[in-house]
Amino acid sequence: MTSYLTQRALGTIPVLLLISLVVFLLIHAAPGDPTLMLLGEETNAAEVAKAKARWGLDRPLPIQYLRFITSAVTGDFGKSFKYAEPVSSVIKTRLPATIELAIVSIIIATLLAIPLGVWAGSKPNSWIDNLGTSFGLFGISMPSFWLGIMLILVLAGILNILPTSGRSTYGVAGPEITGFYLLDSIMQKNSQAAWDALTHIFMPALALGMNMLGILMRVTRSAVLEVMNEEYVVAARAKGLAEKNVVWRHVTSNALIPVITVVGLELGTLLSGSIIVETVFAWPGSGSLLITALNARDYPLVTGLVMTYTVAFVIINLIIDGLYAVVDPRIRY
Amino acid sequence: MQSLTLESVTSQSPGLLTRLRPWLHVKACTGSLIVLSFIAVGILGPAAAPLDPNKQELTAMLKAPQGIGAAHVLGTDNLGRDILSRVIHGARVSLLVAFAVVFVSGLIGVSLGAVSGYFGGKVDFLIQKLVEVVWAFPPLLLGITIMAFLGQGLFNLILALVAQRWIPYCRVVRGQALSLREREFVVAAQCLGASKRRIILRHIIPNLVQTSLVIGTFAMASSIIAEASLSFLGVGVPPEIPTWGTMLADARIYISTAWWLPLFPGLCIFITVLGINLLGDALRDILDPRLTRAGPGR
Amino acid sequence: MNRYLSRHIAAGLAGLFLLASAASHVAAQTRVSIGVTETIETHNPYGDSVSLLYGIWSEITGPFCTYNYEKGDFEGRLADRWKVQNPTTWLFYLNQNYKFNDGTPVTSDDVVHSMMTRVINDPQSKQKASVAGPIVKAEAVDKYTVKFTTDQPAAPLLGFVCDRLIVTSKAAYDKYGKEAADKEHMMGGGPYRLKDLIPGQRMVIAKRPDHPEAKKNPDAPDEVVYRVMRETEQRVAALLNGEIQIAQFIPPHLRQRVEKSPNLKIVGTDSVEIMFLAMQPKPPFDKKEVRQAVCHAINRDQIISTLLEGFASRLDGPIGPGQYGYDPNLKPKMNYDPEKSKKLLAQAGYPNGVDVQLQTPVGRYTLDKQLTEAMIPMLNAAGFRARLLTPEWPTLWANVQKGTVPFYYMGRGSVQDPSAALHQYFYTGETPRIGYSNPKLDSLLDKEQAEFDPKKRKQYLSQAMSILTEDAPACFLWRHKLLWGLNNRVDYKPLPDAHIFAMDIKTK
Repeated sequence: MTSYLTQRALGTIPVLLLISLVVFLLIHAAPGDPTLMLLGEETNAAEVAKAKARWGLDRPLPIQYLRFITSAVTGDFGKSFKYAEPVSSVIKTRLPATIELAIVSIIIATLLAIPLGVWAGSKPNSWIDNLGTSFGLFGISMPSFWLGIMLILVLAGILNILPTSGRSTYGVAGPEITGFYLLDSIMQKNSQAAWDALTHIFMPALALGMNMLGILMRVTRSAVLEVMNEEYVVAARAKGLAEKNVVWRHVTSNALIPVITVVGLELGTLLSGSIIVETVFAWPGSGSLLITALNARDYPLVTGLVMTYTVAFVIINLIIDGLYAVVDPRIRY
Repeated sequence: MQSLTLESVTSQSPGLLTRLRPWLHVKACTGSLIVLSFIAVGILGPAAAPLDPNKQELTAMLKAPQGIGAAHVLGTDNLGRDILSRVIHGARVSLLVAFAVVFVSGLIGVSLGAVSGYFGGKVDFLIQKLVEVVWAFPPLLLGITIMAFLGQGLFNLILALVAQRWIPYCRVVRGQALSLREREFVVAAQCLGASKRRIILRHIIPNLVQTSLVIGTFAMASSIIAEASLSFLGVGVPPEIPTWGTMLADARIYISTAWWLPLFPGLCIFITVLGINLLGDALRDILDPRLTRAGPGR
Repeated sequence: MNRYLSRHIAAGLAGLFLLASAASHVAAQTRVSIGVTETIETHNPYGDSVSLLYGIWSEITGPFCTYNYEKGDFEGRLADRWKVQNPTTWLFYLNQNYKFNDGTPVTSDDVVHSMMTRVINDPQSKQKASVAGPIVKAEAVDKYTVKFTTDQPAAPLLGFVCDRLIVTSKAAYDKYGKEAADKEHMMGGGPYRLKDLIPGQRMVIAKRPDHPEAKKNPDAPDEVVYRVMRETEQRVAALLNGEIQIAQFIPPHLRQRVEKSPNLKIVGTDSVEIMFLAMQPKPPFDKKEVRQAVCHAINRDQIISTLLEGFASRLDGPIGPGQYGYDPNLKPKMNYDPEKSKKLLAQAGYPNGVDVQLQTPVGRYTLDKQLTEAMIPMLNAAGFRARLLTPEWPTLWANVQKGTVPFYYMGRGSVQDPSAALHQYFYTGETPRIGYSNPKLDSLLDKEQAEFDPKKRKQYLSQAMSILTEDAPACFLWRHKLLWGLNNRVDYKPLPDAHIFAMDIKTK
């Protein structure tokens, strides 16, 4: 199996190269001049020419790509036009926010979806099943940005129980260690900061995770439905095991296999969904950074971000494949 | 991917199907009802809308919903335009985009899949590499980037949405074509030639239609949400075309003062997508319960 | 399960409430949080060219000199006073009581270093055109005297350096290198020091109680937190929640929500940003009559009273009251007259109308999309066949700079003194944004720039602006009245150019 995985890993390299080429071409094909964007209203032609030369934008396209790809391989995406700092460090400061948001979304989704799905699946056609199915359906049909807007309107605007935006209230959090505010505050045993971080992350994570919640619920439910009919469940029941035991011990562990697949598959959707949710909630992550970078035609930053997202996506898929093989002994490559 | 043949469907344990049957009808009915209304509204469009969706009345801005029978049933927006009419016209655009995207991506996907699977070799390798590269982009990202760089426009939007959506069709058809080739050799070894046509007609096409129908239904739902998302981010259609997504984007600064502005377009998206998903669910349950892809895909 | 849950929810809410109230009543120190719409991008004080940051950095490092809107003239701060030695040479005399955070005095060497090394010669500086402007050389005459040399006579020089020139420490730069000096050893001579900066999120400044300016304003807050909040609804909600005490730029329709709250109030100020419709002199806009027809077609008063709810002042000419050189009797007045527009179009050879495409950014200026959407039916009623395009800002801006946008809605900020703006948009060959050329206008603009006598200068400006209004390469529309939301705990009068000076804030 390791040889399969290494083969796959190696196979991704030409794919990544092609991706970088596609991204590079797309960005340069666009109308909109980065130098003008970043030099402000009152600039003049001489300044623009100088900036172009400094940023290497006056060289022919293939040369630009070559310079880009040779440094990209070492993780160096050049300097951001907008922030005048290396792209990798700009991305590094914003990435933890997105990762934290994604992780909390997954946690919320799984914590709610799996028990609900198992419950619904183990009692098909009951009112619980109907409730669960409807909930799942709602989850996958709900546009995340609309949910976000409604949440802000009700919870922050009308009821005033949650903050409207941002990651933390100024002056509450301690110094950053990992960049994951929840983790940092727990590590520093600062409960005030932990609560503060939690209240800020709740709405965006809910809006982001709602789709995954729906999907997971449905997948869990159908997996449970299928497994419930399998021989070993019938056998367990025949043995006289209490229904609860049957459900939790035998059914759940087997139903988790497709769940892992789904989480892996949906991570990509989660990553791109975070772009919208971060915009709605003004969450300072890499998603809102991407929108800013696109608006500023900040070529290095956009390329760096898109590469980061796709590389992460490819790696995650690889891991999921591996996990899948580990968890399901029936699968052998 | 599991092989999708009629045999596998019909040999499914009868217990599951009979248990699902009563629930199936409810789902199919509600879903179809919603979808049909959506299509009807979309097609009727201008005839159904009471007022011109682009007619501004600066003295009648931000009027609250007045209820059925009044001049502005759902109220007016920030330029005094009738919201009900705009929502109806929005249905038309969403419908158009959804159908166009599903049709074009289906066409491209099926053709490329057939070519890829049937010819094999270098052609297959190239097409699959293309699939890998394009599929590697997280879903909305490619759409946003394409739209940000191509600029606003209905055509560009459809292009951006088709960019990744042809791939599921391609994969399925290729799988079918591949298994056809294998079976072809086996069958040709055993019988003589005539069975090829029967295999295509009897097994491949029906399966294709079934799977495409299921994929297509969920793809419609996701296209509607994707169009709304792109319009929401400002990289969708130009302003003279009212779409649910742009209405939501415009409504962002009026959330607390005019709740009807974000509520109705968002509700429309939600209900339409819900109906489509219901229908898709029912379709899938009827045609192929073994498909475990429970989500709307990309 | 219910009781358990509800008890915990109650506890959580109580804790949240305590937290919120604790945050807004800091015991000994006064802290004011401001929700701003601009983004704070970098540690490099010279790396941004936006109004807000000019103001904040100026306060940390000076300001060099400042414009007093009430008096209508410039005042000294770090640069105590100045003298025009000859038309291309200015002398600035520094205040000897301004000291860096480490106690060392701010000297002319620092000013020269800031202007030459950091503003003009540093590739990362984005401020060369707007701060250095016509200045080509800065030299130290003695420890506290600086000489600026310009390439041609520049009467409006103060508009470039006041509230904009950021003076940082040469010693720190030399000792620690640029990046470390900016990030870890930021020092300035101003009444506030930089306490915290997270790009994209916030900037925190803390008062220096021993500074002469701080002593003059004892009510100024001890700490000011600038929080980036670009979303309008969230900014307003944060103000209502007490998360911030000042909210920048409340759109007119949200003002009632703020005013309804007993702890909040709305304060308005006329912006110095002029909003206009620009037209390139290519068909159909090559004919003056067509351009004038556009100006007469727009019912500015109706737009102002309905969409802007009265929070804008109409412009009859490039500038309005309070801006340098404003002439209330400027002629002609392009009043609302769609019938006249139709006649003008017929005169120009378009009796059956003409197709035009108006381009506008979205979300860059107050209600930009809505306002231009409202203009389309007005243009149509005046005989045009108009369409609206809403390209993305970077695309639009790039195209405007290249000169490929024939008809667009735009704003020009920081117009205290119209000279720079008029040159930029209307002087032959200066920028391709409009591509307008009028030798009479050019000579008037040359004269005003070189004229140091204020009375004569204002006359030249008036004549130039009269020509501009009549020839109409642009229709001057309005200046927004910018609304700010304030918590009753603070007293603050916002400035027309959206600079925020903590010294002006009074806490109760």
